[in-house]
Amino acid sequence: MTPALTLLAGALLVIAALGAWLWRSRREVQRLRQRGEATACNLETLQTSFARFVPNEVIERVITSGVSPGAERKEVTALFADLVGFTALSESVEPTVLVQILNGYFECMSRAVSDHRGYVSTFLGDGILALFGALQPNPWQANDAVRAALAMRSELEGYNKELSDQGLSPLAIGVGLHRGTGVAGLVGSRDLMQFAFVGRIVNLAARVQDLTRVCDADVLITEAVRRGLDPRFVLRPMEAASLRGIEKPVVTYCVERFESESS
Amino acid sequence: MSAPLNIREIEWGRPPLVEPNPDAELERWARESGAPRIYPLRYFTRCPWLARSMVKLSTLDLAHLDHELADVALLVVSRDNSCRFCYAGARVLLRVSGMAEASIESLEGELVTAELEPRRRLGLEFARRLSRSNPPPSATDVKALREAGFSREELLELAFVTAQYVVINRLTTLIALPLERLEGLDRSWVIGLMRLTRPIIRRVMGELKIRRPPVFLSAEEKSGPFATEVIGLDGLPAARKLRQILDEAWSSPILTRRAKALAFAVVARGLGADRVEGEALDLLTGEGFDRSATEGVLAHLASPALDPVESAVVPFVRETLWYEPAPLQRRARELRDLLTEEELLETIGFAAYANAVCRLSLALEAIG
Repeated sequence: MTPALTLLAGALLVIAALGAWLWRSRREVQRLRQRGEATACNLETLQTSFARFVPNEVIERVITSGVSPGAERKEVTALFADLVGFTALSESVEPTVLVQILNGYFECMSRAVSDHRGYVSTFLGDGILALFGALQPNPWQANDAVRAALAMRSELEGYNKELSDQGLSPLAIGVGLHRGTGVAGLVGSRDLMQFAFVGRIVNLAARVQDLTRVCDADVLITEAVRRGLDPRFVLRPMEAASLRGIEKPVVTYCVERFESESS
Repeated sequence: MSAPLNIREIEWGRPPLVEPNPDAELERWARESGAPRIYPLRYFTRCPWLARSMVKLSTLDLAHLDHELADVALLVVSRDNSCRFCYAGARVLLRVSGMAEASIESLEGELVTAELEPRRRLGLEFARRLSRSNPPPSATDVKALREAGFSREELLELAFVTAQYVVINRLTTLIALPLERLEGLDRSWVIGLMRLTRPIIRRVMGELKIRRPPVFLSAEEKSGPFATEVIGLDGLPAARKLRQILDEAWSSPILTRRAKALAFAVVARGLGADRVEGEALDLLTGEGFDRSATEGVLAHLASPALDPVESAVVPFVRETLWYEPAPLQRRARELRDLLTEEELLETIGFAAYANAVCRLSLALEAIG
């Protein structure tokens, strides 16, 4: 073998080795990239899933600065809805049927809330706490919240027809609304945290909802809600009532309907 | 709002809201103006000022801001708004400009985890925050940007560019422009071919990206609707562009001036843009609509004082404040029974520009 051929063979060997190394490196880079993409994909899927429990803005804040006790004061309208006679119902049907009924009910009510720019904050047993103006500033929050309450009323009518077709008893709700200022933020212990809205307004909305049990009304609003309300809502003033934990008697109004020009 | 991973899974209305209406004269004017033909003009031609504004907005006339940051901001804002049309367009634009797929992908997740130099990250966060305006950028945000090396002029241009994307996102989403030819183009062989001819493309795009000289407004240009916001940009090419668009929009005969001013007032009330609301109220007073009547409309988005077109326009523009494509498109479709196609297009145009001018105003207040 001539020196030239030896040199050529050597060069070819080096090129082949280099090619093999390059090919392996490229494969490694591709593998790492795929793994990176899969991780990013999983993270975003997780983020999208979390958005069902916590507003996106809060998730982003957690990603950026960790779980910090950041909180904001906001003006919101709180809507508290509760099923009437739920305890009796829960004792009269099978647990699986009960869960089915509740899930269908929550689905209808949540739709009524989100269609009117509200945010379902919590399900408390058979109760629902929805907030208007909590995620984005909303100067029209009183109108939106009361429209949502009326939509809940009509959604429930439709759902009751479904229940009746299945031989089940109809449901009834009481809804209380109040407007005021509170604090939105992450609250809880080191082991369990949740995004929550805290303040007197949530308690008052719940107490006003309790009033529906003793009044002939399913949707009651406070004076603070009425002040921001479109005059086309037909209201029936109720007698001022003393509520547990509230100093002065509270004036409420029953919302009868919305009277549009066409109606 | 944060966009989900696969933007192509976002519900997008089909067919487009309006029928295409080719207009040879307008298309020729667009060609002669040298602007890239990014948006299908034929969907906007029934409202000529809106079509012309689309041409004007398809170029970035920048005197100070880095063009690449402005291009990347389109991707970030459009993705955040889940505007599939603009997002796909931004991807194509960045690929043609030579940005690597991996670099684009790194921008598509959370900005905090993207591989970005701090200055650019801050700039993009400012654009996204302004587009969301929930809450808008604050003086503290601006201070951080200034410390990162952004000049006041760069920030003003970034604010205008973002306002420009606020308009484009809303227009393309509300009309539901067809996506078929655009989505996936960034990964097609066409882009591969373009990469081979990159030197030529760079030259063409480079011409579009030349830094423009400063523009100072004449006394006449310093008056007119929303003069405060236009004057706030004085010295930048953006100022004249905005003045021309607003003047053309205001003199269009399709909607009444009262309906147009109401559109601005509603968006301003929703976003808390007090200065724009004040200017809109002055315009309404000039149109014979007194303050108490306006306050009634702004309180409940309805009033017996409104005519049928205004009664449709007022609640609709409120829906355009926050961005979710599917509900936005549904609300726009509901308007088709109440308005003519021309009125529908002009309403959408005014909703988009009201959102942009209000956000711009909030940014100007923060920048100072």
